[in-house]
Amino acid sequence: MSDDIDLGVLAESFAEMLGAEWPREKAVAYARAPGPAAQTLWGEMAALGWTALTVPAEHGGLGLGTAAAAHLHSALGTAAAPVPMLGTTLAAELLVAAGSPAQQAEWLPRLADGSVRAAVAQPTDAVIAAENAVVSATIPDMVDAPSADLLCLRGTRGGCACWLILPREAAGVSVEATALTDTTRTLGTVTLDGVAITDAAILLPDNAAGLADRLLRAAAIAIAADAIGGGEAALAGTIDYMKTREQFGRVIGSFQALKHRVADHQAALVAARGLVEHAAGLAPDDPRALLDALSAKQHVTRTVAEIARDCIQLHGGVGFTAEFFPHIYLKRGKLNEALWGTRTLLLDRIADMLEAA
Amino acid sequence: MGRTFDILSRVGDEPAFRQEIRDWLAATVPADWRQRWQAVRESELKAIVVDWLEERRKVGLATPHWPREWGGPGIPFAYQIIVYEEFARADAPELDMYTISLFHTPATLFEHGTEEQKDRYLGGITHGTDIWCQGFSEPGAGSDLAALRTAARREDDHYVINGQKIWSSAAMHADYCLLLARTDPNGKRKHDGISYFIMDMKTPGIDVRPIPQITGESEFAEIFLDDVKIPVGNLIGAEGNGWQIAQSTLSTERGLLIFGAVERLAHSFELDARDARDGWMRDVQFRREYAAFHAELQSLRLMIRKLLIELEANPDKASPTLPTYIKLIWGPFLQRYTEFLLRAEGIDALKWQPSIPGTGHSSRLRMNDFLKSYGWTIAGGSNEIMRNIISERILGLPRG
Repeated sequence: MSDDIDLGVLAESFAEMLGAEWPREKAVAYARAPGPAAQTLWGEMAALGWTALTVPAEHGGLGLGTAAAAHLHSALGTAAAPVPMLGTTLAAELLVAAGSPAQQAEWLPRLADGSVRAAVAQPTDAVIAAENAVVSATIPDMVDAPSADLLCLRGTRGGCACWLILPREAAGVSVEATALTDTTRTLGTVTLDGVAITDAAILLPDNAAGLADRLLRAAAIAIAADAIGGGEAALAGTIDYMKTREQFGRVIGSFQALKHRVADHQAALVAARGLVEHAAGLAPDDPRALLDALSAKQHVTRTVAEIARDCIQLHGGVGFTAEFFPHIYLKRGKLNEALWGTRTLLLDRIADMLEAA
Repeated sequence: MGRTFDILSRVGDEPAFRQEIRDWLAATVPADWRQRWQAVRESELKAIVVDWLEERRKVGLATPHWPREWGGPGIPFAYQIIVYEEFARADAPELDMYTISLFHTPATLFEHGTEEQKDRYLGGITHGTDIWCQGFSEPGAGSDLAALRTAARREDDHYVINGQKIWSSAAMHADYCLLLARTDPNGKRKHDGISYFIMDMKTPGIDVRPIPQITGESEFAEIFLDDVKIPVGNLIGAEGNGWQIAQSTLSTERGLLIFGAVERLAHSFELDARDARDGWMRDVQFRREYAAFHAELQSLRLMIRKLLIELEANPDKASPTLPTYIKLIWGPFLQRYTEFLLRAEGIDALKWQPSIPGTGHSSRLRMNDFLKSYGWTIAGGSNEIMRNIISERILGLPRG
């Protein structure tokens, strides 16, 4: 572990690169016409070692933890960067936590250098019965699947929960992209048509529930961090706009009714960022790690989606256009709310944990 | 019983210090203090509050945040925080009536008082005999405090005060008042020409009228001042310098008050789920609403802890913006949470019960706590003022 790495400096370097390579004009243009620019951005990220962040050093990574990953996802959220980093973060978490030495050796170095992009099934995604050597199944709505080289699917074998670690190029595997309103992320239907399952493709955890929670925590933090970055960017851009846009002979930022709204948003984001950073900083085995991560996810994604909604309104008519940026954050914000556990699902889990405390 | 406690000797060993306070609280705080206090009449209130302060004084914790020089324990800030944490966790009685006495008066006198003033007034606070109130707000000067009009006219060796103060907490129990009055009505700005006085509440010409509040209690009062004479020696700082001193008075509680308040709520929050185990926690909607509050409460606690850590490291370099965010968020959070409890508990929460005097928002009498939560969004600069501060001073939006 590299304890001597200054996370603040790391966060600054993320922001600096993305500010230069993925400025707001680019994000707005990409939203209207998604294209190969995302591929280039991914390559630049990989070259800088960002894809290697949480991969252990012995597999070619930087061996940093959840807090570092949170800073990266926050910066990606700020830029609304169209890269499948969530899949990579979660695949690394999955393999590090429960992969066999062979699985780790095969996939982690390639995740680290960015040559392999991954997609990891959400808790609500279809579970594949992998009892036989050949498997057929359909898994709809898998996030990051269209660009993935590696698919991590939920399965069962011998009555136990397992994971299927399948290369996208394996015979019988196909992925069909589903159009999303948020064009900065992708969703796809994975079809397995008589896919041969070797033992090498099966990841059988000792503690399946523990592994599920560990993945849920990592996903919750990554998504909450992405959300907070997006929320801060949406609000800051809106405040800038309020300082220049004039109506009735005054800049609209001088109207108290509008000022009070953004003051509330700002305070909510300051509080929310503290919660995300705290949750990301807890050790995975801290008894409150999952509780605070899920709390952060449901709260921050909700708060940011609400703020993004108001940013459209505070922009007035232009907030309704594709040319202005707020819609990008609203769409990504709404997706963040829905990914890896809806709010009600997480609240039920949080209530269970609070009751058991 | 029988055990003697020596909390202060544990300073230097945080876990031991914490344990000693815990043991002392367990042995000292009666489990039924709420019920006992609930039956107390307003006229008997001061006596029981003084008794509790006296219990604390015996172990050196009447004024945990005071320096040794003036009768405090002189313990590091980190240990002061532990005291507040443990008092909240043990659900020990609060000392709302002493807020001005324990925080505002010393903060003002330590920095701006003369040696004579400190000698004369601070001892009465540590011994609980003196209760102080604050004569800042006026009917025409609430959040816009600098608009105050109460006049102080110099005549020989005293000032003659005329005017009216309002929202003065515990004024009917108070022995002394921290009074702001205008000594020069012709200042260039409205902040100029305000002076800061110590007023003995027994002085002729003072008429205190309690204000019945929405909870049925009267924790604060109006003070009518009719030719009240204050000796020149009771002026704090220089004449006309009252506004600056008042600003430091209001900012020197160093987050401890709100920290204590939020920690008390965090404790209460846990009890609420436990108490509702067979009640509203079985209702899926209420259960979710309750679970959602956890994130907000955590984020508040984290912000306050961050502020306290910054203050401990260097009070002069602590974030000037964090207290404003905390103030803006805490009140509305408390209002929504207490309102949630009203809805979840239904009609039982709406039945009248005698209040617990001297307790803030954590009496766990649902309607009272809900109603009292407004104190946090109105007092000390309303939340609308906080929003102006954030939008103009932090976000750089122009004044309207």
